[in-house]
Amino acid sequence: MGIKNLSQVIADNAASALKLNEMKTYFGRKVAIDASMCLYQFLIAVRQDGSQLQSEDGETTSHLMGMFYRTIRMIDNGIKPVYVFDGKPPDMKSGELEKRTEKRAEAEKQLVEAREKGDAKEVDKFERRLVKVTKQQNEEVKKLLQLMGVPLVEAPCEAEAQCAALVRHGKVFATATEDMDALTFGSNMLLRHMTFSEAKKMPIKEFNLARVLEEMEVTMEQFVDLCILLGCDYCGTIRGIGPKKALELIKQHKDIETILENIDQTKYPPPEDWPYKRARELFLQPDVANDDDITLNWKEPDVEGIVEFMCGEKNFNEDRIRSSLSRMQKSRNAGTQGRIDSFFTVSAQVKCTTAAKRKAAEEKEKAKKGAAKGKAGGPPAKRRPK
Amino acid sequence: MFEAKLANAALLKKIVEAIKDLVTDAPFDCSESAMCLQAMDSSHVALVSLKLEVGMFDTYRCDRTINLGLSLANMSKALKCANNDDTCMIKYEENDGDSITFTFADVKRDKTQDVTVKMMDIDSEHLGIPDQSYSVVCEMPASEFQKTCKDLATFSDSLNITATKAGIVFTGKGDIGTSVVTYSPSSNSDDESESVSLEVKRSSQPTALSDRVRLSLCNEVPVVVEYPIEDNGYLRFYLAPKIDDEENMD
Repeated sequence: MGIKNLSQVIADNAASALKLNEMKTYFGRKVAIDASMCLYQFLIAVRQDGSQLQSEDGETTSHLMGMFYRTIRMIDNGIKPVYVFDGKPPDMKSGELEKRTEKRAEAEKQLVEAREKGDAKEVDKFERRLVKVTKQQNEEVKKLLQLMGVPLVEAPCEAEAQCAALVRHGKVFATATEDMDALTFGSNMLLRHMTFSEAKKMPIKEFNLARVLEEMEVTMEQFVDLCILLGCDYCGTIRGIGPKKALELIKQHKDIETILENIDQTKYPPPEDWPYKRARELFLQPDVANDDDITLNWKEPDVEGIVEFMCGEKNFNEDRIRSSLSRMQKSRNAGTQGRIDSFFTVSAQVKCTTAAKRKAAEEKEKAKKGAAKGKAGGPPAKRRPK
Repeated sequence: MFEAKLANAALLKKIVEAIKDLVTDAPFDCSESAMCLQAMDSSHVALVSLKLEVGMFDTYRCDRTINLGLSLANMSKALKCANNDDTCMIKYEENDGDSITFTFADVKRDKTQDVTVKMMDIDSEHLGIPDQSYSVVCEMPASEFQKTCKDLATFSDSLNITATKAGIVFTGKGDIGTSVVTYSPSSNSDDESESVSLEVKRSSQPTALSDRVRLSLCNEVPVVVEYPIEDNGYLRFYLAPKIDDEENMD
């Protein structure tokens, strides 16, 4: 899922692009959420005594529980969520999807084995691997969101790509997903852990694409090629090239074509008929809905409708649903505090670097250069603060 | 190197006291013409903008533009050492390592005290503030403004300012009740009516910096609360308004 090791590569090579923040610092921000990804999360994580929540007639309700409370948590924090649902997967993903089906079959086998052995822990592990979001669950969640007055967008293809397009067109501030390929699709801001439970106390992890590119000194096209080399959902990778080597090659040769011309293909065999060009195109020109067709409206929640659906049909506790809804109403009605940085735009970066830190950075740079057999000259000129 | 001397340590003390609760660390941008500071509070609701022009200093020397990152809490500790009438020299030298020296001198008693403060690594952004014509600009005694904000804060987290030709009304409405303060203008004004909601705790920064405070308001843009400092500088707070979101929360 996503891009292999990308978050690690960013942490190692573009630390300033990464920030940890509390959820409340995103108040007033519109955020596009990859719904499919977070539904899957809810089905895995929202559990009681190890099994999914169920209504009286035995239907799973973990997804509704998760969607309801985590959405309210965001609204409580002044965030305006938009949920984006997956459309049909791109043809190129078939390889990846096949692999997943294989893995499922494997997990199914192991589940039967574990059951026979009576190993509860293993059973639980494989059951979780078999979790799949059904069409009905998707529809139920959409119904709930509509009742809650939260906008949703149906992507023609991949949800992450649609989220990224919303960010690029300034309709929302960021994409919230765990899937790192939102960055590859060009989402300037990526927020992780947005839909996690409050109890986990996980800070939001923010990735800033512009800073990633700046600090790694690569263009967007080169970044996409880097992601393909790291490993994406759409095609294979060159065997023997790990994250470190991948970045090195991209910096040296700029694109995959030149890399293929210059590496020893017997030592680093690329996949046969490697469709990296199509993967690249998919990332750079993804299939997304027309911007003009999307209007995002946050409406008043239909309290009675929600109570009827959640409590009447799905057996949730009415008092708890009502009290959560009134909390959500309250934060809605309090009006949104404006953000000063939405009125004024950033005009310059300011960096104050102490000599101690500069020295540490230089030494690190030297160590790196040393590892690369000390080919390069002196350390790069420090950027003068403006 | 950078070297600047203020006749009164009290001035810097007041400035730091006024902003240290809002901003923890900030870069002091020193250039040939002025010493400036711009920083947002941690929740990005308020922007502090400080400008001290060369004319304000007894001596001023700045060889090249430089950003000095300082913790305001630490700076406040340093400034506490100074008596109000002491002169205050701010000094930074590239070779001196990572610290700034404040020298407080009591001329009458022939005493000087050096306090060095460690600098901080800061990675922040400057916001460009566009020229804005405000529909209402009013001036009032700073102490009066402060009291009004304090009074309203006991009732409400947010404060509404409504200005008309007839006067300016501050309203704080909360669960326990409402407080309304009305001022009629002392001089004639041609300003249009405006109404702005703010978060109250951020607008009431106690400031003994100057006698007067100037409020500039306009619908749907940040309010400016400005304290002029002598004739050569200012401390401004830009406060983002609350947004009513009836239709699309926007």
